[in-house]
Amino acid sequence: MTNRRLWELAAVGTLAVALAAALAVPPEQTQGDVARMLFVHVPSIWLAYVAFVVTLVGSAAYLVTRRLKWDRLAGASAEVGVFMTGAAILMGMIWAKPTWGVYWTWDPRLVLTAVLFFVYLGYLALRRAIPDRVLRARRAAVFGILAIVQIPIVHFSVVWWRTLHQRSSIVRPDSLQLDPPFQAAMWMAVVAFTVVYVVLVARRMELSRLEERIEDALAAEERALAGDAVAAPRLDPVPVTAGGDDE
Amino acid sequence: MSGFWRQAAAVARRDLTGEVRTGEVLLVTAPFGAIALLLIPMAVGTDAPLLARIGPGMYWVVVLLFGVLVALRRSAAEGRPQRELVGLLGLDPAARFAGQALANGALLAVFAAVLGPVAVALYDPALRGWEWVPLLMPLTVAGLALLATVAGWLTAALDSGPTLVPLLVAPLAVPLLLGATQVLEGLRLGEPILGWLMLLVAVDLALAVAGVLGARPLEEAAR
Repeated sequence: MTNRRLWELAAVGTLAVALAAALAVPPEQTQGDVARMLFVHVPSIWLAYVAFVVTLVGSAAYLVTRRLKWDRLAGASAEVGVFMTGAAILMGMIWAKPTWGVYWTWDPRLVLTAVLFFVYLGYLALRRAIPDRVLRARRAAVFGILAIVQIPIVHFSVVWWRTLHQRSSIVRPDSLQLDPPFQAAMWMAVVAFTVVYVVLVARRMELSRLEERIEDALAAEERALAGDAVAAPRLDPVPVTAGGDDE
Repeated sequence: MSGFWRQAAAVARRDLTGEVRTGEVLLVTAPFGAIALLLIPMAVGTDAPLLARIGPGMYWVVVLLFGVLVALRRSAAEGRPQRELVGLLGLDPAARFAGQALANGALLAVFAAVLGPVAVALYDPALRGWEWVPLLMPLTVAGLALLATVAGWLTAALDSGPTLVPLLVAPLAVPLLLGATQVLEGLRLGEPILGWLMLLVAVDLALAVAGVLGARPLEEAAR
């Protein structure tokens, strides 16, 4: 069995376990079953952060080594990150309706997460606008490094402003508020999402490599060869007709 | 003056001379920003207390969004032959970046200074803590100038460059917008503002370092 197949099986397996754990925990005391959104919302935004940090690492590594595999990693990770950010916003909105009474509120964490989404959408738009892969890699790498400034602002927004959104309760032991079953299910979801992220990024990088091969093949076909402009002498006799063309 | 700064000053002087000849910022972009400040009350309602409350925020939104147009001005546009000539002259890409950012910063300062009295006249905000403006304005304008210059380099020689720049700049300008508006809000409410000023300084430094370090790969990519 190939490594790729193993990772895909691991992704399916961990997702299944995480789903079972999310359904097995008892309903939350005040929010009931709606609180299960936690198991999708939190891993999504966590993975989005991880994805954008990997984009930063890939961008910096490309600028240092000038090897395109780092650019592929940065681009693939940003794509998955944008998807995860979009999913986190959407899940958050669905969760907000029954708990806050509205889908959207002008909460700093929400607004800044939406801004983060647009920062990396801009990154993807920049990549799409540049057909040449080396030029694209250089420009995207600089923007990929610059864009990371948004992550700490989003993360610390709940500390800097009074917000509706709760503070971090997973990575800060002093403010841990989740019951053990919820914690266990949460960590399973985080592991499952991480494995899915690895599989998606690996597949996207492979797709990029294949796209590059197709581009190279097409470019080789279109490239003019020396001597193309010279016509070979024709050996078949050309019929010569006597008289005018009107006959 | 070191070679780096002499080169940067020469680039800035060239850009500013081009702008003086065309007058694009003062004659086109600044009036456009003033019109935006005039239109906002029509959209939200001409309630004087409300306008006084939101005036400073609206001013900074207009400066940050319309300020991108200052960096995108035609007078600073460079064609490929021009960029290649500058490269062949041996100009340090980082100095060229610094020079362009200096020119953009100077023009953005003029733009913000022109719009300031317009905002005060239209919105009549409380001018408590105005003595901090000489510190706040350069920090915000420098950040925007650096950001817009980086975005201009990222999209140099691209057909879709002028449409891409606002998409790249606007979300990344959020820390600048937050810093600028929260300093004024803090002064209005008598709350500490040092943290917000530090945020502006940190963003400016990060952008300056990113611009100077990224100048060479970006110049190579633009040829």
